[in-house]
Amino acid sequence: MTIRNTLRDHGQRYRPRMACLKKAEKVLLEMQDPKSGVKSQLQRLVITTIPHAITGEDIMAWLSERFQIDTQEARTLGSMLVALGYVYPLQDHKRLVLKSDASLYRFQTPYFWPVQQWPVEDTDYAIYLAKRNIRKKGILEMHEQEQYSRLHKWMNHKWDFIVMQAKEQYRAAKERKKPDRVVFDCQERAYWVVHRPPPGSVSAMDYGLDRRIDPNADEAKTPDFYERMMIFTQQSIMRPRVKSSVSIGALVKYCATYNNHDPFLFRCLPSNPWLTDDVTYWTLNMPNVDTPTKMRVERWTFSFGELLSDPRGRDDFRRFLKKEFSGENLAFWEGCEDLKWGAATTMKEKAEQIYKTFLARGAPRWINIDGKTMEITVNGLKYPHRYVLDAAQTHIYMLMKKDSYGRYMKSQVFKDTLKRAICPEEHKFTDAQLEHNSKNRRPSISPIILRQQELEERAKMAANAPMDITQLCRFTTPIPHLAVYSGITYSPSTNASSSLSTLAQPPAWPSPISVALDSTSTSERRVESGEADQDGEVGGAAGVNVCKSRMALSLRRLLKRGCGPSAVFASLSPKCHTTAGMSGRIQPISPDPPGQAPPRRMGNFFQIKVDIPPECRIYPIESEDEEDENRATVGAKEIICPWESLTPPNGTG
Amino acid sequence: MGKEECKTMLDALNKVTACYRHLVIALGSTSDSQNLREELKRTRKKAQELAVANRTKLTSLLKDKSISKEDRAEYERLWVLFSSSMDLLEVDMKRSLEIGQDFPLKVPTRHFIQTGMTGSTSTVAARAMSVQNMKYEADSNIDTADLRDLQAEICQVSQMMEEMEMKVQVAPWAVEAKQEAGAELKSNMSVGNSSVGVISICEEEPKDEEGGGGGGGDAGFASICAVVVFFVIVTVAVVLGYLVINMS
Repeated sequence: MTIRNTLRDHGQRYRPRMACLKKAEKVLLEMQDPKSGVKSQLQRLVITTIPHAITGEDIMAWLSERFQIDTQEARTLGSMLVALGYVYPLQDHKRLVLKSDASLYRFQTPYFWPVQQWPVEDTDYAIYLAKRNIRKKGILEMHEQEQYSRLHKWMNHKWDFIVMQAKEQYRAAKERKKPDRVVFDCQERAYWVVHRPPPGSVSAMDYGLDRRIDPNADEAKTPDFYERMMIFTQQSIMRPRVKSSVSIGALVKYCATYNNHDPFLFRCLPSNPWLTDDVTYWTLNMPNVDTPTKMRVERWTFSFGELLSDPRGRDDFRRFLKKEFSGENLAFWEGCEDLKWGAATTMKEKAEQIYKTFLARGAPRWINIDGKTMEITVNGLKYPHRYVLDAAQTHIYMLMKKDSYGRYMKSQVFKDTLKRAICPEEHKFTDAQLEHNSKNRRPSISPIILRQQELEERAKMAANAPMDITQLCRFTTPIPHLAVYSGITYSPSTNASSSLSTLAQPPAWPSPISVALDSTSTSERRVESGEADQDGEVGGAAGVNVCKSRMALSLRRLLKRGCGPSAVFASLSPKCHTTAGMSGRIQPISPDPPGQAPPRRMGNFFQIKVDIPPECRIYPIESEDEEDENRATVGAKEIICPWESLTPPNGTG
Repeated sequence: MGKEECKTMLDALNKVTACYRHLVIALGSTSDSQNLREELKRTRKKAQELAVANRTKLTSLLKDKSISKEDRAEYERLWVLFSSSMDLLEVDMKRSLEIGQDFPLKVPTRHFIQTGMTGSTSTVAARAMSVQNMKYEADSNIDTADLRDLQAEICQVSQMMEEMEMKVQVAPWAVEAKQEAGAELKSNMSVGNSSVGVISICEEEPKDEEGGGGGGGDAGFASICAVVVFFVIVTVAVVLGYLVINMS
């Protein structure tokens, strides 16, 4: 059992490490070798000659030979060395690139090498600017002047020191001989070009934000420190370990599977846009393209995760599920994702929405999760947060993965998509065409516009929600002859009527109920105080429509009776028992005369109350109790979230 | 007076710090040598002596509660000068330790960086030590032996700084500087013409070279030249005129 020593190595987690610096230093040291290093020559100035000047070509040639790379790459590597400040140009000192001609460069002294652990201090910069001021007699460049005034303002308390030190350093520098003085000035200037670049250029040493703690500093051994260490070691002990054969096997499998799909390692059809500046690849692989590419479809076969994460794949899967009438799983999963990643303000409403649509008893798109998960979820929904539906979501994901995914792979939908998938030809651009392409580069659509389009599409999809048949299950098929109806409506009850009317259309099922519904809907609308139910859902139960007529009769009788709920229950339950062998009660919306009770929130759907064997309590516990006692009092029952109290009649449903 | 003493000592410390920095910059390059290491060592020792002296003086001055407000402000200013110098010294010492370890003298496979500096730094060191010429008497393993001393000294300096912070309650940001922006230009230091001329050659456009160099020369010198030339021309003109008149 090994706990890898990550305790001391905070570096990787804390500060972006520039590992290239140590490597560049090694390269630089190799370049100094008088025999095998870079050939140096003299720089002839007017009065003096200064040794150790190297040409750009020489550097490039040396790099090519040393690392066995081509000239283009050697040039890039050399430019990196210049940009970091290990080598500085003698002419054109502001542009830190390596030119492959006879332009001269020189190595930088180790004191001025870029080192991350020695942050570049503003004090030093101020001293440098002051020295430059002296030398140039007050004529500084624009950005230098700005920096000077800024530093003077912010470091005012140290300004005496800065002036004194600048003068002293200037005098000290003058003690040296002329060539050395020249070199020193060039070095210092090059150093500050790297670390305080003139406007319009970027420093290569810009590694992002510094983290709060310096990873190289020793941490004080406080009790808190030891506590953290203990927690870390305890967690390390509990971490599950995998045999290396297994993990390596997994890595090998992953590499083998994805090798051909990686644009770095394999060719990219038709061509890699980053290399050829031709965006066909991106247009062919848009999220909502009609015919995907063969590679894309192949990726869907790798794993269920791949299928879901590709929007086109998800689309295909959704189409398949629609055919199988089990789309609620995917819809639930997507709803959970939306909850997880969405804005915090709408979280509570979203959670309630999802509960009502998918999880509650008698929900229109009821998903089949086991009792324990349901219990956990419902308990969690009392105080909803982003991850409250995580357990249920995982369950459904696994369900889809084990069940629907396999069937999808063998389905006709997938086979059709696979047949239609296109395999584009590889581009073969000539150099002239590449040049042409690079000139015609255009920026892509703004992400703001893309996001708007996405939202519009989502809204459209929600509006034309497919008519889903909820899953059959032991507990929600009380009455076989009860019609199945559903209606997903994410939007408020403005759609209620439409969904009700469309219910008439679905095939075999709900003719009697639709008739009943029509009558109820009219009566409802009469009774309804006009407040729209937020959800506007049509509660329904899954059921098989067998004895339509009998059901219709009983329902009509119920509705005409307009009696109190208890009577309803009494009348209904024996019937249900006899008919289906399962118990189930339909509680219609109470058609109480409006004056009887304070205006209630009327739902315009049925709630199916089922008797569930006591050993499997999937229903929310409190509402069960409350329902039992409220049976006599509360007539109308919508699908109410159990964490809200049932007693106030106008409780937010 | 205490203040004057302090100021002179601080000036000395400042000078030594500047020289030390200059020497550390030469470390690891082709101007590095045994002599350089010895110079570094001695400059460092001198800097430390000065630092200790300054510190005792300043702490005693600042601890004195009976001084007036302006005095106290002045001492605080001197304190900020002192602590900034010490900051620079500490950083330079740490860097010299690092670079000294990376570039040992005697290892033949380790080559110094060809920076173009080939001269010696003895004049800088002499300036730091305030002597005319430097005498070198160190033995050959100065680089390794010195590094151990250096580590000890760095610890000493850090400790001293911490003590300082504890003992003296000075808010550095509250100090107001006496010098204003651009004060360095007002010094009466002569800007060497030759160095300016040569240095400006390193500027980007070669055409800046001589023009920049010559033109950047001392304004007084140029004007004197102009005046002299003018008089010469006037004299020649007068002589020629006289001759012409005489001829005709």
